[in-house]
Amino acid sequence: MPTVTFLPGFRKVVAEPGSTILEAAQKAGLHMNVVCGAQGKCGKCSVYVKSGTFDFDREKYGTFFSAEDLDSGACLACQAYVTDDISVFIPENSIIQEQKILIEALGLETVFNPAVWKYYLELAPPTLDDPSPDLSRLLFGIEKYGGPKEGMIYVPLEVIRRIPKVMRDSGWKITATVTLVPGGYRLIDVEKGNTLDRIYGVAVDLGTTTVVVYLRSLVNGEVLGVASNYNHQISCGEDILSRVNYARKGGLQKLQKLAVDSINTAITSAANVAGIDREDIYEVVVAGNTIMTHILMEIDPAYMIEEPYVPVVRRYLTSAARRVGLEVQEDAGIFIFPAVSDYIGGDIVADILASGMAESEDVSLLIDIGTNFEVVLGNRDWMFSCAGAAGPALEGGEVRFGMRANPGAIEQISLDLVSLTPAYRTINHTRPKGICGSGLIDLLAELLRACIIDRTGRINTQIAHERIRYGTRFPEFVIAWKDDTDIGKDIVITENDIKNLIMSKASVLAACSTLMNQAGISRDEISHIYFSGAFGNYINKENAIIIGLIPEVPGERISTIGNGAIEGANIALLNRKKRKELDEIAKRIAYIELNAEPSFMDEYTKSTFLPHTDLSLFPMVEEMLNECRIRRG
Amino acid sequence: MALKALDIYKLLPKKNCKECGDPTCLTFAMKLASGKGDIEKCPYLDDHAKSVLGASTKPPVRKIKIGVGERAFVVGEEFVQFRHEKTFYHPPGIMVSVSDTQTKPEIEQIVTNVRDYVLTRIGMDLRLNGIAIRNDSNNPEQFGTAVSYAEGCADLPVVLMAGTLAAAEAGLHECGNYRPIVHCATRENYREYCSLTKKSGAVLAIRAGTPDEMAELSTLCTEAGQDALLLDLSSRSLRQFINDSTIIRQHAITRTTPSLGYPVFYDATIPDNADAALVLGILKYGAVIVIGPPTRPSEKALLTLRQNIYTDPQKPIQMTAGLYRVGNPGKDAPVLMTVNFSLTYFTLQGYLESSRVSCYMLIVDTEGLSVLTAVAAGKLNETMVRDAIKKYGVENEVSHRTLIIPGYASPLSGRIEEETGWKVLVGPRDAAEIGEYLETEWKA
Amino acid sequence: MTLQTQNIWNGRIGTVTIGADRAHGGTRTLQYTLGGEQDLAAVGPGATQQRPLIAAEICDDPGIWSPIVNTFMGDTVNDTAGWAGTMESEYHPDIVRLHLTSTRKRNFKDFSGIPETVSGVLKSTGLPLIIEGSNDPSIDSEVYQKCGEASSGERVLLGTAEAGRYRSIAAAAMAYNHCIIAQSPIDINLAKQLNILLKEIGVPYDRILIDPYTGALGYGFEYSYSVMERIRYAALKGDQDLAMTMISAAPDSLNIREVREARDDETDRTAATWEFYTAFSAVIAGASIVCVRHPLAIPLLKSAIDSIWPHSAGREA
Repeated sequence: MPTVTFLPGFRKVVAEPGSTILEAAQKAGLHMNVVCGAQGKCGKCSVYVKSGTFDFDREKYGTFFSAEDLDSGACLACQAYVTDDISVFIPENSIIQEQKILIEALGLETVFNPAVWKYYLELAPPTLDDPSPDLSRLLFGIEKYGGPKEGMIYVPLEVIRRIPKVMRDSGWKITATVTLVPGGYRLIDVEKGNTLDRIYGVAVDLGTTTVVVYLRSLVNGEVLGVASNYNHQISCGEDILSRVNYARKGGLQKLQKLAVDSINTAITSAANVAGIDREDIYEVVVAGNTIMTHILMEIDPAYMIEEPYVPVVRRYLTSAARRVGLEVQEDAGIFIFPAVSDYIGGDIVADILASGMAESEDVSLLIDIGTNFEVVLGNRDWMFSCAGAAGPALEGGEVRFGMRANPGAIEQISLDLVSLTPAYRTINHTRPKGICGSGLIDLLAELLRACIIDRTGRINTQIAHERIRYGTRFPEFVIAWKDDTDIGKDIVITENDIKNLIMSKASVLAACSTLMNQAGISRDEISHIYFSGAFGNYINKENAIIIGLIPEVPGERISTIGNGAIEGANIALLNRKKRKELDEIAKRIAYIELNAEPSFMDEYTKSTFLPHTDLSLFPMVEEMLNECRIRRG
Repeated sequence: MALKALDIYKLLPKKNCKECGDPTCLTFAMKLASGKGDIEKCPYLDDHAKSVLGASTKPPVRKIKIGVGERAFVVGEEFVQFRHEKTFYHPPGIMVSVSDTQTKPEIEQIVTNVRDYVLTRIGMDLRLNGIAIRNDSNNPEQFGTAVSYAEGCADLPVVLMAGTLAAAEAGLHECGNYRPIVHCATRENYREYCSLTKKSGAVLAIRAGTPDEMAELSTLCTEAGQDALLLDLSSRSLRQFINDSTIIRQHAITRTTPSLGYPVFYDATIPDNADAALVLGILKYGAVIVIGPPTRPSEKALLTLRQNIYTDPQKPIQMTAGLYRVGNPGKDAPVLMTVNFSLTYFTLQGYLESSRVSCYMLIVDTEGLSVLTAVAAGKLNETMVRDAIKKYGVENEVSHRTLIIPGYASPLSGRIEEETGWKVLVGPRDAAEIGEYLETEWKA
Repeated sequence: MTLQTQNIWNGRIGTVTIGADRAHGGTRTLQYTLGGEQDLAAVGPGATQQRPLIAAEICDDPGIWSPIVNTFMGDTVNDTAGWAGTMESEYHPDIVRLHLTSTRKRNFKDFSGIPETVSGVLKSTGLPLIIEGSNDPSIDSEVYQKCGEASSGERVLLGTAEAGRYRSIAAAAMAYNHCIIAQSPIDINLAKQLNILLKEIGVPYDRILIDPYTGALGYGFEYSYSVMERIRYAALKGDQDLAMTMISAAPDSLNIREVREARDDETDRTAATWEFYTAFSAVIAGASIVCVRHPLAIPLLKSAIDSIWPHSAGREA
């Protein structure tokens, strides 16, 4: 079997003949960029084969490379097949980089009321006068120490088997762990001696791209460790749809395993940071989108992406963490957030919980933007939700020099309105490699301000300026000259990029408008706009309004709730009362299918203009545009 | 008028009892707001809520059935002034007039044509609806005979344009049980007409000079027990008709003058310009329109116009995606890709047919959007083209690998080439130029 | 009590002047000021209603023109100026619309021929003119410049601006004092956006006519009809960005199957009827100018329009 050596790290792996370099890399634990789901479409998984022979269709997939590149072994890892021992150089750009993942100290305010707890019992040994069985002794002990009544506690066989030895070895001084289950309680552990302080819980945000884990003490709620990493499923396709397709082609088990691996990896590093034993983790609470949670539970997600788009389960799920494959205490429970629909998943329910909008009389608008977006409008009495595809443009996809928020990405940009010279800031302050979503929003707003583009986003090529030029297929604007970049090429934004961005932003705004119309709510009546997710955290709010990504409201009404999913998961971990509310919230939310809503297309077309066809909905932007025009004469 | 879901929700009990079949009161409210729900399904509505909601969901223009049997048709039950607000539901019945002074063969020829003429468009059979018999002889007996001629050769809905009560009676004698329209009662004779038509279950057209008088007359008729009414304002001029008909429709749908909530009867033979009158009748809320025997071109045009106006504007007419043949295409015939917007499809097909070049049309499902809109909205992309080529087996039909795409899809040309491996030629933006284009560009 | 229509309007259609007679620096025998309506077409008191105009369409290269018209007109179609004159003298349209179809040829280079064609037509007819220039962005600038210059002073209506290519035509219209047709693909919002784009580069609203694109009857006309109704409605409700007069032309009317496949002895009648049904419906939806290609459609339309608008309010002799 051929050996593949990956450079620069010299990681070696034995590969099946005929497998792709990408598969070999996955086997070696190297996570590569595969935006297109390994279809040879995105060109993001470029590698250079430095020695050895391999199969690669240059005709078909060579378009991503120059002739020179091809001669030096360039190929797409997903389309290059291993036939022999080879060594492969993976350029930095092709490896998934440590991304800016949103983890912040949470200022949680919730009642501390976890769903699992311990009792330290000092029991009297049995005697001839008191020959009651071990189990009864234990359960009565729990009741005596203020716990639930004996008859309410279910005890699994595995635990019963451990009881006699633990009791006797410890001199009848034991710690029992009890958790709440539907209809009663469950005894999930017995340990020798007093382990009252060793009880931990984990809150998990299982995202399509990243997994975030919070490890907390369930004695006092304290955060002991936080960790995050990529969702290992990324190697099976970047977007959610490609995951479902992968599952449909018999890959559900593999995806399930990758999801669990991702969580386990994160839990392990959080546990290492905290210096605790994973065996003392007694509960895991997971918030994720409906497809991710289906996959985690190994429930077929296929029916959600075809008509009539039904999930298998909507309500919250509980099970044993071990049955899912999580490496925590043997009988620890897992709690999965309920969903509203196929597209409004537990992550959004968690967002709602974190925002507090379900408890307020004020009307709030919650927006979660990624490749897909979700919008929720409402208050404590009513809520409407919808979801749609924003396209990858806002995350840097479908944009020539777009990239994720990795080092080297331009994340902020402004233009000198006279000289049209850009000033930008990159992540980690390195030389620019590309532009990420927040940078693109800034750029769009600045191009509009400078009257370089009209309100449909078309570049005015009549402006004589060296940065405005015809590219190979579209007019373009040069953001950085090649000597200033890290990639040896001019970084530009093309008219086509702008069009894709406008289409993305129009979907989001049209979704907001559709919900507002449905509810009969005007923008003045919106008291809060909450941005959830990493994307919302870094964007310039004013520019988001200028381009019409969101309705115009006074800036102070816009706030970010950060990673609402992990925040919501933390709340549910610490306060079991909230879990009941979750189902209530999820049930209360009405889901609007945008495709079936005739006014959506109308709203969409209105929104494919910067910021919107009707400027009276954007008074602040109107004023700004007037100033810009006056300045330009 | 139309209540928002949230307004309706506020009137509901908010119990989320699910007894209406919906999971929550809010989803039930959404259904009601979109006109798909039935308020009766909620057992907990108070009277106030019922009256508010009921008033906004009952059709403001009365539904009336005309004729019996296969060719019977329904008019009324309309909700809006402009079709884009929702849709127009029931297309007007076109009644071709004959005179009782015509001979039996003359009458039969016209009736047979109405009975048999079918125009099939986009999978729908379009027909004229019925016969209007005019009392020109002023002789009830002759009128009755003419009605019997018409009834004798077809089971079509009829209008008895009787003019007098005696003639109406004679006509009803021939067709009274077939729910005809009796034309027409006025302020002077409405009592007699009402009792006559009520007896036989006929529909009564009533005539008044102005909308005000019409409102009064219709009230009188309903008080007299006849509420299967059609309103004939006998508008002399086209302008008069547009105005009168607009007033009636508005007062009906806003429920400000409920007595105008009946379908409109329009005799389009009165104005000088018959085609113009007919167009107005179709566009401006005519529900039963009387015309003279149409010429063949007018016949097609009027049925097509009526079909267009009564198409649901929120549902684009879409073609089924697939591979369509024009002429007898061979292995080397050109393949033209376009979208499944019916306008685009038929226009291109028309020009292709007239160009006399046999070819294939590859229709991609863009949800009924035009090329321009589909490209803009991302509803047309390279993977869809690739999938369509595979799915419809284009590679087995032709030996070449060249695809002609619409001019407006040119931004996608490179990506389609990459995705499909086919060579892409960008065709003209204007379908009218396709013939010339194929002639100059295809012979490659 | 007299029952009235109940729409409450708070806007009116803006006015636009097409053609320039001698008193206004041109050579047209008459000019029109369109617009000013304060209600739906033909609704309300007649005084606020302008009579819609009929434009007869001709072209300078009949190669891609309707064979039905070509056959009907005979040799005339090969003499563009003569064609324009014949239309005026025999069929009495209100406007002549000249399509420079010659520019549709691939690699069109004959820019110097344009002024010749345009001035020929201007000489042969005294009617105000609509000139349809290029259909290709790469030659727009030169074509419109030539069109504008050749008809300088005549206040023609230049067509057609679209969202992707409006700068050249706007520049020509502004430089030579002409008006513009702004066409968008059957969508009220796109129509509005294009007007805004034009306004933002300095084209005043009294120089713009909206062309919402008209599909042929039976081939998408229903969309166009409703878009025209919606535009008129929005304008009357006070939307300034849509308060322009509308022009409607269904360029494909004569190529659809029903017309092409009509019996030989009914071809002309069918063509004219189809154009009439489409154009007259467009008038009722709110179009101020309707364009037809078959000459026999003109008298049909004239008669129908005359019966609703007996006075010639649009004309300024």
